[in-house]
Amino acid sequence: MNEKISPPRLAERFLTYFLRRDLAEEVRGDLAEKFYVDLVKKSPFKAKINYWYQVVNYIRPFAIKKSTTTNINSLDMFQSYFKIGWRSLSKQRMYSAIKIGGFALGIASCLLIALFIKDELNYDQSYPDGDRIFRVVQAYNYMGESGKDVWFQAPFAKAVKDDYPEIEKAGRYNSSELFGAGSKEIRRADKIENTYEEGFVYVDQQLLDILRLPFVYGNPSKALSEPHTIVITKRKADKYFPLEDPVGKAFILNNDEKNPFKIGGVIEDFPATSHLQYDFLMTMTGVEFWDHEQSDWGATNYPTYVLLKPGADPDQLAKKMQGVVDKYLLPMWLKNGMPNAKEMTKAGWFELQPVKDIHLRSEGIADPVAHGDIRFVWLFGAVAAFILLIAMINFINLSTAKSANRAKEVGLRKTVGSLRVNIINQFLTESLIYSFFSFVVGVFLTWLLLPYFNLLSAKSIPFPWNEWQLFPVLIISALVVGILAGLYPAFYLSSFNPAAVMKGNVSRGSKSATLRSSLVVFQFTTSVVLIISTFVIYRQVEYILNKKVGFDKDQVILIQGTNTLDKKLKPFKDALRQLSQVKTVTISDYLPIRGTKRNGNGFWNEGKDNVDHSIGAQIWRVDYDYIKTMGMNIVDGRNFSENMASDSSGIIINQTMAKKLGLIDPVGKRIQNNRVWNVVGVVEDFHFESLRDQIGPLCFVLGNNSNIISVKVNTSSMSSVIQSIDGLWKKFSPNQPIRFTFLNESFARMYDDVQRMGRIFISAAGLAIIVACLGLFALSAFMAEQRSKEISIRLVLGASLKTIFNMLTFNFLKLVLISILFAIPIAWYAMHNWLQNFTYRTEITWDVFAIAGALSVLIALLTISYQSIRAAFVNPAENLKTE
Amino acid sequence: MIETRLGEFEEVILLLAGILGEQAYAFKIAEEFESQTKRSVSIGAVHSSLTRLEEKGFLKSEMGKSTAERGGRRKRIYTITAYGKKTLAAARDFRQSLWDQYPGFATSKFSFGH
Repeated sequence: MNEKISPPRLAERFLTYFLRRDLAEEVRGDLAEKFYVDLVKKSPFKAKINYWYQVVNYIRPFAIKKSTTTNINSLDMFQSYFKIGWRSLSKQRMYSAIKIGGFALGIASCLLIALFIKDELNYDQSYPDGDRIFRVVQAYNYMGESGKDVWFQAPFAKAVKDDYPEIEKAGRYNSSELFGAGSKEIRRADKIENTYEEGFVYVDQQLLDILRLPFVYGNPSKALSEPHTIVITKRKADKYFPLEDPVGKAFILNNDEKNPFKIGGVIEDFPATSHLQYDFLMTMTGVEFWDHEQSDWGATNYPTYVLLKPGADPDQLAKKMQGVVDKYLLPMWLKNGMPNAKEMTKAGWFELQPVKDIHLRSEGIADPVAHGDIRFVWLFGAVAAFILLIAMINFINLSTAKSANRAKEVGLRKTVGSLRVNIINQFLTESLIYSFFSFVVGVFLTWLLLPYFNLLSAKSIPFPWNEWQLFPVLIISALVVGILAGLYPAFYLSSFNPAAVMKGNVSRGSKSATLRSSLVVFQFTTSVVLIISTFVIYRQVEYILNKKVGFDKDQVILIQGTNTLDKKLKPFKDALRQLSQVKTVTISDYLPIRGTKRNGNGFWNEGKDNVDHSIGAQIWRVDYDYIKTMGMNIVDGRNFSENMASDSSGIIINQTMAKKLGLIDPVGKRIQNNRVWNVVGVVEDFHFESLRDQIGPLCFVLGNNSNIISVKVNTSSMSSVIQSIDGLWKKFSPNQPIRFTFLNESFARMYDDVQRMGRIFISAAGLAIIVACLGLFALSAFMAEQRSKEISIRLVLGASLKTIFNMLTFNFLKLVLISILFAIPIAWYAMHNWLQNFTYRTEITWDVFAIAGALSVLIALLTISYQSIRAAFVNPAENLKTE
Repeated sequence: MIETRLGEFEEVILLLAGILGEQAYAFKIAEEFESQTKRSVSIGAVHSSLTRLEEKGFLKSEMGKSTAERGGRRKRIYTITAYGKKTLAAARDFRQSLWDQYPGFATSKFSFGH
């Protein structure tokens, strides 16, 4: 027998780990005996292997420690953790409320923003062939001017489909008001009362085939193949044809009784997460907006979509599509005598944009749909993360600060045999309790706030109760967040040396003061950055809304849908003018607000059309009263005059146009597009697009419109004016309710997105500062509590209230001041970049920082001083009598 | 079938415990099992079976002396109970009665020489 070799120790340890205690002696004896017998017969290695084999073979139900006993034990421990956690939570109501409340706020804002982001990412994800659907984008870069847009020539779609076999289908739509899309007066063919509806668009049958929109009624493949057919959404079908199948029935649009539109089908409403949002899809079949319009390669009005054959490479196809320019456009340009035709073919190129990218990744592409911005998604995500981080910091700060109060508990636990693991578990359990509470409150808050958030973000997100992922995701997040937030406190608290703690020289939570201070600085830096950003965004919004825009947008009422008045339009205008409150009246569809008519043309100085590069300018058809009604200024020459018959070929240009054409003294000069015009006047530049853009060239000519009547009134009591206008309208148009807006409101709506961003930021900044202040409040309460004896002694020895107040406040104020120093450069950099989006922008002046800084100091001061004053006013005897 | 409550393995272990007498503890029984049946068995399996037999009342056990080969640890000695003996006998008798009823085997035995 070899005395030196003993059974493998690891196997023995493993055996004792699982073996029932009462069996340990006999079994270890048996196995040892077996081992030594083996050692005689076999090699030590084989004996050891066999020992392992024997050990493993003891893993049998009868020999294993009863698992139920271990379970009960750990369950008991967990119950104890839970009980202690619950006690400490309910013992310190204020701290618990602040921890949970702050956490819940952070979670709620995170959830809201997560819902927002999810909604944004959901756009256009559900077309059956979504991976093969692309929107054609054309890009150009010529003489330093570059851009991208989505408007193509009418024959473009058919041409690419015929020329490139990779394209299975190609379809177009036309949503331009200029062609009668947009809004209309509508009624069932068997009714006489008109209703105003928006969301009209011209669509190819092919586009329906590409998108494969879900049909409720009708044949999807033939719904729009006949002329004068229309496809409507379910909600409109329910509105006009409740409880019936409307296919085959007809609508009268804009009182045009000769051309009723037959309903070819009913589709499901476009989901909120679709970039296309229309209700009435009118067919393109048989439509020509002017002679040979459908074969005209000179006008671009159609966003075009293609469905590629499976496996086709969109990038390669986009390159090949360059052939369209050489085949169709170059001959036309050469025929028109364009001097730089050859160069132009190289200035542009095509891109194919996946339909799923349209909503978030259309930055820099001009198109007729509203979309989000992937950068906003990231920005909001970051803001949410920061708020959550601030809330988690509160948690960590409060836990470590309160550690002094728990130190004795930890010491005692360790003394009676708690392992470090047990104490870590204890504090992680507590953290999880807080986290789960916070999540419950947070979800409730989210549910409560969602309607307001929807208003704020102009969305209609429902609370996703019925999504199965919701609860697993919430529970996992609660676990992760709870553990993350509890990790530092757990390790910190469990590291206490029991002897030191029990002797009384407790660290009093001051060891971690540096860490706590830096976390507070981080919280306040974030808050101050958000406050400054909010200020700048608001400044910019104010700046835009109050900037001298070159026309007078106040006290102008826009009456819309007046085209149905037909021959009564002129008499209605005259009747309006008779009203005592009305100053002037103009009929024009071209207004300096978004959503009204636009018409671009190339202009040259007379006779230079084959020599110079053309100046692209807006050409707006107006009447004699337009400039007066809009309050625009003539800076040179004169307005159109009814007494001058020659004014039918007169033109008024804006200053930018004069400059671009190189006209120094423009009045009396002659310019041309497809005909020659006499410049009779120059109007001061006014903003007619968003202030993000530079003012472009624009001119007025006389012409007839019929859709919008603008009325300038001379009183600010709008309700009485509207009453009299409405009375007049009823006489002229009894079958159609009046529809009006105010010019200044429509103008403000152009900046909805900026205002929305401002509102979201103000909410985020508010939340961040609230959460940060909650933390500060609790911290200062804690400090006052910690130093209550010191304060009492100071008071007894004659310290003044002021000294005490200063002493308690200054520490925290210092942190806030440091935060402001950090925040200023960060905020300046971020906002400076944001403002680059705007051509006309406000300056970031020092007072923004001063005000934001003062504000945060003030808020912090208010938060702290409550505690400081309370501490200073306490009766010193109270605190000292127990000593 | 008569409820003997003894499996084949259990029956062998029970018999071995009876054969070994004073030396009937898990390791020895396992050794004996291996040497008599030429089948390998782990001590754990034997121990498990012994425990079960004790629960059924066929065996009783008590801690014996410690010996140096075992690192000074004591061993658990199993002794067969009267009930155990009775059950073994019943199992044997039952099997015998089955053999007696088995004609093929009985005949072949006698007619082997033909």
